[in-house]
Amino acid sequence: MKPTLQSRRLAYGIALGLVWLVTYPLLLTLLEALGGAGAWTLEHFAEFARRGDEWRALWRSLWISTASVVLAGLVGVPLAFVFERTEFPGRRVLGALVALPVALPPLVGVIAFLFLYGESGFVSRLVQTVLGLDQPPWRLHGPGAILLVHTYSMYVYFYLFARAALARLDGSMLEAAAVLGAGRWRTLWKVTLPQLRPALLGAALLTFMTSLGSFSAPYIFAGGYRVMTTQIVASRVNGQYALAQVEAIVLALMALGALWMIRRMQSDETVTSAHGVAPSRQRIVSPLARWGFAVIGWSLAGFMLLPHATLLLISLVPHSTWTVELWPPVLNFSNYHELLSEPERLRPMLNSLWMAVVATGGAVVLGLLAARQSLRHGGRMGAALEGLVALPWAIPGTVFAIALGTAFSVHAPYIGRFVWIGTPIILPLAYLVRCLPITGRAALAGLRQLDPALEEAAHSLGAGPMRAFRRVTLPLVRPAVVAGLGLAFITALGDFVTSIVLYTYETRPISIEIQSALRVQEFGVAAVYGVLLMILSAAAFLVWGRGEAGR
Amino acid sequence: MQCNRRQNAVRELTPFQSPLSREGVKGGRERGLGGEGPATRAAQLLTTILVMGLLTGCGDGRTPLTIYSPHGRDLLQLVEETFEAANPTIDVRCLDMGSQEVYERVRSEAANPQCDVWFGGPATILGRGARDGLLEAFRPSWADALPAASQHPGNLYFGLYRTPPLLVYNEAVVSEEDAPRDWDDLLDERWRDQVLIRDPVASGTMRTIFGMVLAKSVAETGSTDRGFEWLGRLDAQTKEYVHNPALLHQKMVRQEGLVTMWELTDILFQRLRGAPLGYRFPASGSPVINDSIALVKGSDQADAARAFIEWVGSREALLLAAENAFRLPARGDLPAEELPEWARQALAELVTAEVDWDLIETEGAEWMNTWDRTVRGQGSKP
Repeated sequence: MKPTLQSRRLAYGIALGLVWLVTYPLLLTLLEALGGAGAWTLEHFAEFARRGDEWRALWRSLWISTASVVLAGLVGVPLAFVFERTEFPGRRVLGALVALPVALPPLVGVIAFLFLYGESGFVSRLVQTVLGLDQPPWRLHGPGAILLVHTYSMYVYFYLFARAALARLDGSMLEAAAVLGAGRWRTLWKVTLPQLRPALLGAALLTFMTSLGSFSAPYIFAGGYRVMTTQIVASRVNGQYALAQVEAIVLALMALGALWMIRRMQSDETVTSAHGVAPSRQRIVSPLARWGFAVIGWSLAGFMLLPHATLLLISLVPHSTWTVELWPPVLNFSNYHELLSEPERLRPMLNSLWMAVVATGGAVVLGLLAARQSLRHGGRMGAALEGLVALPWAIPGTVFAIALGTAFSVHAPYIGRFVWIGTPIILPLAYLVRCLPITGRAALAGLRQLDPALEEAAHSLGAGPMRAFRRVTLPLVRPAVVAGLGLAFITALGDFVTSIVLYTYETRPISIEIQSALRVQEFGVAAVYGVLLMILSAAAFLVWGRGEAGR
Repeated sequence: MQCNRRQNAVRELTPFQSPLSREGVKGGRERGLGGEGPATRAAQLLTTILVMGLLTGCGDGRTPLTIYSPHGRDLLQLVEETFEAANPTIDVRCLDMGSQEVYERVRSEAANPQCDVWFGGPATILGRGARDGLLEAFRPSWADALPAASQHPGNLYFGLYRTPPLLVYNEAVVSEEDAPRDWDDLLDERWRDQVLIRDPVASGTMRTIFGMVLAKSVAETGSTDRGFEWLGRLDAQTKEYVHNPALLHQKMVRQEGLVTMWELTDILFQRLRGAPLGYRFPASGSPVINDSIALVKGSDQADAARAFIEWVGSREALLLAAENAFRLPARGDLPAEELPEWARQALAELVTAEVDWDLIETEGAEWMNTWDRTVRGQGSKP
């Protein structure tokens, strides 16, 4: 289909808007790194290149991110197959539950990990007691700990994207393969996986970029083992702002490199299917296997939910009462009481909620529009749009927030700069941009699986572009878009790294309140906020799970 | 404290949520192609939440006074409530953050200052704010009662509380007798792999302690070599650099380590809440942090800000903070008998170390840089 003038205008409009929101603030940051105190200089880049520790951090970021992609894929994709392609008791509920690591709130989530697997954690103490060891069996430390947390929190991308793609798989193709004599593995390799390619590459890209930008896990677990994100923070607190800018730019370039590679791997062709219905799930007949599946499924879900359970437990422990015991000696609702007795402390919940709703809504619309234009135009415009949509994910949240804050702290409307810092606009806007890669990626994956002929057919049958989009395209990409929406909502709801830079009194989100409670060592209260956040996220997710898994 | 509509908004939200979760999804599943229902409902929900959000941002006619502070909820809530009760036309809005974050935020907002009062943080950090031109001169009347060392010569900031760093141990395991008595005792073989330290790069308190060690080395030998050598030995004793105070506290209480260095106020709060943490003022002296306050340049509520600064340094407010939030006043004119028991005891035991603060302020960043690159983690390598 040839793009009309109108659609070209739309594409340019969207590209311009994205440049303004995404690239422009970063460019201003770059100028600052080059300009410094007035004189143009490459000195900071030279300093970066000279220093061994910078290269080490860069290398560590790269290999940890690559390993995270592999590990998350190894966990997430098989899970997606199990839950989408087989039928066993409790499939629906479990299918939604194993996506919940994504709902583990920031800050306190990592702390729940420490309480669980850390040196004095629950599991470690249990192992120590059972085996009668003098020393804790392990220490949660270094790259291993980072990879553990990354795999745990990021396999969900693979899981959700692959499930959405499997749900959109054309059953007739599998049947055709079977009729032509292909075995199960051959069908998997030659038919199913190629169909999943866009979704898997999308998930790989998200995982790679998330771990490049991941901050809490390396910060808390890695100690002196610096990766780029922690290096940036170290430079900042040391007052070397220009060097920090350079590090941020290098990190962004790496992420762009990854994006470029992924794009080369997925040629512009769409993987067309979407004629028939999704293949029916394989019903497990043997009762033994049925129960086997159910037991494995439930233990898996139980394992995935351990950190959530730990958080719930911590929220019931009164201050300073749990020290060296295996099980907390006192459990009551005092933390909840403390929180609920002050209505003012519940306000951040409402703040987070409205900002997340607004940001996610905006990100879905913008992501869908950009993805559609990107595929329709292809070529350079397509690549540019895709890159713009993915870019925010590549930049560590703090760096992006600072860039946004800098860009919108000057009143110069003629060059697109307004004083938005300190107003309630800036934080939801930042959330929106941060969510864009998720919704955009999801929309791209969905649209890539869609046969453009369908929309053309609608056109030739007399439907206008809006009508064709609404009644043909939208319903077909719905699973993918909704998967993105759920993730984006949770991301915005629990965001910490962007909020810490841009929040104002009116827009204090939950994560800031968690941090504030942690600052005075109110672990229990922080955990209560975490639990409330978890319930909100889980509700959003289970609603999605019911809607999608039930299809 | 805030306008009532906010609380109503929380209640009103729930009925609007259920339609989407129940019918919205069901409708979406069944409708196949077309059908407007859920979309309209989602739009309704969106609008509702948006309007709520905007409504909650409303003021109530009082003058909003925005305060950035690292002091933590306990003191901030106390100060907010007391000050508002005495000044019903002012709405105090405290944002609680780390002392480094206060500096970064005030710095990044310089074009459109959001903060009126910079309430707390070591004088060394406020000093950076002063150098960057972020502060406005204002001399409160109580400044005359301050020692000269606790005030900025250009009246940009003033010491409010004194926060002494000290030695901390887990008293459930370590008896008072065995606890370290001075900084040097941390290097004792007994504490090998039992020392936990808050990551000094990100912590004002730890920077001050390390700064004291290095400044002393410069003063006595002319170079930092001896100081870095001492820090290297400390590094060998250190089990872990902990990345935030909350985790440090947890790890200490859960006996992952037995001794650490931290500051008095926090430890007294922890003890009040039942944490088994003992403390001791180091015999050779503590580099007492000059916790300061300043008026931010470009504040649009400068009058209210001045009134707040004037009040928070008053005798009444300082005694209130000492009584309820373990803050040791910086003013020298408060009679000891009016102070609470803990403060009198602290003043009796505290040895103040002579520290070259100017040197720490100018060289501190570079020292920490060097420490980060050449000392951290080197001692513990086999």
